Amino acid sequence: MLCENCKERQATVILMQDTPNGSIERNLCEKCAFNLQTFSISPNQEPMSIQQFLSQWLSGSETLQQQTREVQTMPECPECGLTFHRFLEIGKFGCPTCYETFRERLPKVFGKLHNGNTIHKGKIPASFNEKMTIKKKIEELRSSMQEAIQEEQFEHAAVLRDEIKDWKQKLAAETEEEGGSEHGE
Amino acid sequence: MGNNRFMQNAVTGWMVPHGEHSDIVMSTRIRLARNLREFRFPIAFSDEQAEEVGRIVSEALLSTDEKGYSYTRMNELAPLDRQALVEKHLISHQLAEAEQFGAVFLSEDETISIMVNEEDHLRIQCIYPGLQLENAYQKADETDRTLEKKLPYAFDEEFGYLTSCPSNTGTGMRASVMLHLPALTMTRQINRIIPAVSRLGMVVRGSYGEGSEAPGNVYQVSNQLTLGKSEKEILAELANIVSRLIAHERRSRELLLEKSRIALENRVFRSLGTISYARLLPAAEAARCLSDVRLGIDLELIEDVDMTILNELMIFMQSGFLQHYEGEALTSEELDISRAKLFRERLQKS
Repeated sequence: MLCENCKERQATVILMQDTPNGSIERNLCEKCAFNLQTFSISPNQEPMSIQQFLSQWLSGSETLQQQTREVQTMPECPECGLTFHRFLEIGKFGCPTCYETFRERLPKVFGKLHNGNTIHKGKIPASFNEKMTIKKKIEELRSSMQEAIQEEQFEHAAVLRDEIKDWKQKLAAETEEEGGSEHGE
Repeated sequence: MGNNRFMQNAVTGWMVPHGEHSDIVMSTRIRLARNLREFRFPIAFSDEQAEEVGRIVSEALLSTDEKGYSYTRMNELAPLDRQALVEKHLISHQLAEAEQFGAVFLSEDETISIMVNEEDHLRIQCIYPGLQLENAYQKADETDRTLEKKLPYAFDEEFGYLTSCPSNTGTGMRASVMLHLPALTMTRQINRIIPAVSRLGMVVRGSYGEGSEAPGNVYQVSNQLTLGKSEKEILAELANIVSRLIAHERRSRELLLEKSRIALENRVFRSLGTISYARLLPAAEAARCLSDVRLGIDLELIEDVDMTILNELMIFMQSGFLQHYEGEALTSEELDISRAKLFRERLQKS
């Protein structure tokens, strides 16, 4: 069956909509269901177990009302418009920025899904590693330079300024060459 | 693009018996989920973003030293051809359904497939025959490192690789091993093993991941957790569980041979007879018989059938491939006729 909304993709989600005349069933694809945020969805497909899991977690607690209110007042993602409530319903993030938006709530979600684990322990992209180190170094030098200026140690501040310049050049080179060198894990 | 070479043959790299424990372990698969920093995930991206993701990934791949990737967009393939690729384990169901913007890069030997705009922007998959968790991971990791130099991945210090589904966040890695476990199934020990394995943070499923039923006694064991453990730890834990399953299976096979040799031989040769001479061969029966014959070869009861042909038939017996082979859509009876004919032909040749 094709999605009622876009009429392009396969309908994989049944969306129940309450109207004054009773509830209506709408057959939508995942994408349209995602975009029609005012409804609550129920899955008709097996691989949705995470979504069921998360929504059960939301409703299963005694402090349901309090929790729901808390969740509903959370800000929506500035990039894709996903709300946390909606995330619990569909069990999917809309974009990388969602992680930033819901950061404080996520350890609880991940803890449930990953056996209590909430922090990544595996591979780190080489470029990320390298650039992070340089950026941190620049931040450190900047704050020491500010301190030096406030203490009127201008000669020292100038040395620090030159050092920052060097690091910035390294950062620019790193970004430009996009990993021309091999890095270990 | 013309005829896709990967549609010509049923046999692909992972089906040629090779690697450790290849009598029980059929294949090893590593999948890495990756996303681009500046784009919404496929569930929420716009058509323009989808096109852009496809373009950026293509450019990145074409500019690497890795040569010989073929590029195919899902909208260039007929639904049956997409199904055939799924049956060959080269793409996922979900990618086959991502008709508009889904695409796949396949390496020449078909061991690496890079799916674009599936649930995540990128799914790097490496599939090897037999038990080769280390090798398969190394190959996938190598591909990932090459791409990482060109692509701005969505990565977070705290949460690792950011994925659309929170069950993949962290390493984004799913490692799975496909095992043929006929003796554990016949002796019903598998029913006790599955829950035990899941308590250890691993999942056991039928070979195509749908429900717990395992057609042809082929099971897939994979890691559930992706966060809080390194790739190495996950691989080691999976390897440990798989080696225990292999040992169990071997012991059960020996026991079956010892205690009920005639009954086992009877079953194995009846199945060989069925797939060699049947005129109507329903999928479930074909899968069951293939499993018996495979066991017969492993136990050296059957000597004149080549395992590679069995592997090929396992893929070819599925409805997508049969219809691709016949060049038309078939009814369920026509499928059973076509399947029986194919089995007779292939088994006579050996």
